[in-house]
Amino acid sequence: MADHLDEPGLSPPGGDPSIDITDVYAFKKSGQDKSILVMAVNPLTLSPTFNHRALYQLAIDTNGDARADIAFNITFSKPSSAQRVKVRRARGDDARENEPEGRTVISGPTDTVVTRGRYKLFAGRRSDPFFFDLAWFLAGLPLPHPTGVDFFALANVDAIVLEVPNSALGTNPDVRIWGRTLLPEDDDDDEDDDDDGDEDDHDDDFVQIERMGRPAINTVFMSGARKREFNRSSPHNDPAEFTADVVGVLTTLGGALGGTSHTAAAAAGLAGILLPDTLTYNYSSGGGFLNGRRLDDDVIDIELGIVTNGARTTDGVGVHGDLLAAFPFLGPPH
Amino acid sequence: MEKMNRRKFLTLVGVGSGAVAAGAMLSGAGLFGGPSGDKSSGTFSFRAVTGLPGGALPSYASYVVQGNVNMAARSGVVARAVYAGYPGAMTTIALPRLSQVVRVTDVREAEGTVDITGVIDDASQLRPGEDAVVQLRVDRSRGTAWTRFLGQPVELRLQT
Repeated sequence: MADHLDEPGLSPPGGDPSIDITDVYAFKKSGQDKSILVMAVNPLTLSPTFNHRALYQLAIDTNGDARADIAFNITFSKPSSAQRVKVRRARGDDARENEPEGRTVISGPTDTVVTRGRYKLFAGRRSDPFFFDLAWFLAGLPLPHPTGVDFFALANVDAIVLEVPNSALGTNPDVRIWGRTLLPEDDDDDEDDDDDGDEDDHDDDFVQIERMGRPAINTVFMSGARKREFNRSSPHNDPAEFTADVVGVLTTLGGALGGTSHTAAAAAGLAGILLPDTLTYNYSSGGGFLNGRRLDDDVIDIELGIVTNGARTTDGVGVHGDLLAAFPFLGPPH
Repeated sequence: MEKMNRRKFLTLVGVGSGAVAAGAMLSGAGLFGGPSGDKSSGTFSFRAVTGLPGGALPSYASYVVQGNVNMAARSGVVARAVYAGYPGAMTTIALPRLSQVVRVTDVREAEGTVDITGVIDDASQLRPGEDAVVQLRVDRSRGTAWTRFLGQPVELRLQT
């Protein structure tokens, strides 16, 4: 999967599908000086709503050091009545804080397209745009490829879709983007005396539970407990902490599938591209993955060829037919 | 995460009411213990698990095969399901449309090995081109079970 259910058995304060990031997308809005940023969570919609205790964050690195320089911090009210969503934009040191810092740029009810100035927002249930023959992957990518079956054809997610002016991403068009979800360090739902259900009610001390940049990095390259370690870490530490994991898979997988694995040198070079785990995105370009990620980019086919050194090139399934031409772009829920 | 009872799980995995009944039958037969036999009633129960995918890829999910077989009547039910999480960190989240209920049609036992043949009656649980006839082998002496997943041979470890 892209990043769905990537940390089995999330222990408290996790254990919550509503903060399990499934995918992150970033692409240029056609014909405009704007970008669309998407963070989808809640694989298979196992949770009824967004988590009002959580901080959802889209982090933007503007200078190539894989540390956030801008952050869109997204929070939700309690779902007891109509749930509301608020997006704050933080800069500099505030963007690197594990707190919902920043100035509010847009807010409104969930499941509604909200417009404020040059921003547009939708947060709510949508059709999962990810497509992949999961069973084929689980079977070990056998050949000949059986008739492809898209595991996600009928799946939904909860999506945060944000349209922003490119200027909100900084002056350097080459940025790195990743999603994070965080929970209060002491995640006790009943202890906040001031919690009146507003989306402003959030504890200050958050811990990162999950993060994602490109699809399937954690899923494919991290084993066992490393999956959790990866989710808890930060992209700027990826080269030092996780290169060996990536190289280990790259130097064995192609051969294990009947092809030729990457050499150690080639694997190290690829690891330098795959890590840090961020979406590299030039917001002046409408090109797709590896420039950002569009909803219809066949990222699995692209990554299969890279990871297996050409031993596998396609999973045999393609883009969903329910994508929309206009905001919020993700199809209506099934 | 929301706790799931067994009926909700079987509903989630989308195997239908017949499968719910089968699951209830398996549960009632004490399926969730280790491999066991009851000579007086001629029943044999087992549960086996392995990680998917295997080989060079890190396991992402767990394949669970569990059955309750009447050796004398050569009948029974076997359920196969994929759960999120590698073995050792397996969740209760069954991945939809990857679960199958197998009606046992024949059982043969020789030297500690039980060979089971069955059929998947619900065509909606089959991928295009997938054979409805299922073969399983339970090797109690080695503590393993064997079946296929998407046509690929899979060896599972019997749980004790």
